[in-house]
Amino acid sequence: MKLFKNRDSINHAIVWFVLLIELFPIYMMLQVSFKDNAEFIKNPWLPSNPETWQWENWAFGLKLITPYIANTLFVAVTGTVATLFLAILASYFFARQKMPFSGFLWSAFLILMLMPGVANLVPLFNLLKNLSLLNSLLALIIVGVAGAQVFNIFILRNFIEDLPNDLFEAAEMDGANHFQQIVNIVIPMAAPIIGTLSILAFLQKWNDFLLPLIILRDKELFTLGVGLIYLDGEYVKQWGQIMAAYFIASVPLIIIFLFCMRLFVRGLSAGAIKG
Amino acid sequence: MPRSIATQKALREWKLYFFLAPSLILVVMFSYFPAASAVYHSFFDWAGGETKHLIGLDNFRRAFGDQVLWNSFKTVSILVVFNLFKMIPSIFLAVIIHRIVSDRWQYFYRIFLVIPMIVPHLVTLFIWKFFFDPNLGALNKVLDLTGIKEVLVQIDQWFGWGVFHANASIGWLSQPELILPSLFIWGFPWIGTVGVLIYLAGLQSIGKEIYEAAELDGVGPFKKFLYIELPLIVTQVRLSLVLLIIGTLQGYGLQLVLLGNAGGPDGRGMVPGLWMYNRAFISGELGYACAIGMMLFVFILALTLINNKYVRVDK
Repeated sequence: MKLFKNRDSINHAIVWFVLLIELFPIYMMLQVSFKDNAEFIKNPWLPSNPETWQWENWAFGLKLITPYIANTLFVAVTGTVATLFLAILASYFFARQKMPFSGFLWSAFLILMLMPGVANLVPLFNLLKNLSLLNSLLALIIVGVAGAQVFNIFILRNFIEDLPNDLFEAAEMDGANHFQQIVNIVIPMAAPIIGTLSILAFLQKWNDFLLPLIILRDKELFTLGVGLIYLDGEYVKQWGQIMAAYFIASVPLIIIFLFCMRLFVRGLSAGAIKG
Repeated sequence: MPRSIATQKALREWKLYFFLAPSLILVVMFSYFPAASAVYHSFFDWAGGETKHLIGLDNFRRAFGDQVLWNSFKTVSILVVFNLFKMIPSIFLAVIIHRIVSDRWQYFYRIFLVIPMIVPHLVTLFIWKFFFDPNLGALNKVLDLTGIKEVLVQIDQWFGWGVFHANASIGWLSQPELILPSLFIWGFPWIGTVGVLIYLAGLQSIGKEIYEAAELDGVGPFKKFLYIELPLIVTQVRLSLVLLIIGTLQGYGLQLVLLGNAGGPDGRGMVPGLWMYNRAFISGELGYACAIGMMLFVFILALTLINNKYVRVDK
């Protein structure tokens, strides 16, 4: 073992041990997805022979999950873009100018960080009913955007305040209005933090299932969460098909992960130091 | 005069308010209004339609006598203790990864840590539900293979619990006594990716020379943790502590997915949030659900204020 320094080898062993258990569910998901129930009961642990792989499981999963993924992607992408766009506008308002009432408005936002949102669910349901927004994806987007405003504005305001003032003054000299300043200064300078916040917002919307569960009724509108909950409610379970569906549900995140890994690991670390 | 300057500015830059307007309208409509509406409706007997009767404090009186609600508060307190315990592995893992000298390996481990995040949270829950399955689940199989089950049966006979039997498979989510243990076990080894990454970021400010100095002084690994590493991540630990407590008290998605909307056998997994959901959407008592929500709200708000006073999170 010349791979690690001797002193480190215990540490490496511990990390590997933890990682292996941590990744075990993913391994199970993948290998069970190629088996039918009989094969799985006979041999639960090891991957089966590739010749007997049940590709029908994946065909079933694809057919079942793809519409849900499309709905969820629509909600999450639209929601993330709208969340960040509105949050950038609002945080520019707070960060760049001391307008009358801005102190009061800031505390109105900040108080919401302290307020637990759990009691809101029932009135929210009723509000959406009165707006005739039940059973629509638009409701999910709007509520998601509204709920994410406070956190994003809070982080972005700090960030925009730290940008050098000279940049904004120079832009103003050149006759740039506020919106142009946002497009040409704030967005390029804050790109890393905006990227990190976007990923967080996207993940949150992707994982949401409580609100969709009470709002959505039509099968065509189901998002991933609701679809998976209904799949779990089936009486006779074909574990291979279910696991294939689970894996397909993770594919969009895998793609995002491949492209944004660096941004994510770095961004989270940097954001954490700033508080 | 400052006032007139402010007014002038408002007149000149009034368009800026349009930047704030969309966020403000959304927040007022979907955060403030529902909160106010929850307070208002908690005084009504209301099934969601047009008809509602003002019944004063009856909902709250009923809530105070509601045994299910009291038990759910007890359960959620136990879950908070569980989750505090479950914070420890993340802290230790971050410290261990940080102590590894090679930067390349550190980065490599970080990437591996992020991989579980690509699985949607709900899927993780369902896979755990699958692991808990009495006949097919991985948990029972592992316990059988390693012989831990025999030990459990022995202990059971010794204390006379009547929970584990040699010939029957363990029904993790169907035996009332095992609901709380299952809620503890799920997610083993309890590594929170975001938590580990945040702790690692905090630890990064420790230079290598501090470790070298500590080694020259003959400081052991445990003292190193206590005097060098822990103080540097104490802010992050406090922050996750606060978020964790609030999250656990509010949360009920886990219980809904694993145990169903009645909180599992005997309602052992019932938490206040789930009881509110159950009353509102299963039995249609929306007024009473609002009252439960209000009580939970006040409880969490009080805890948050205490937290902010005694557990300072430096911004």
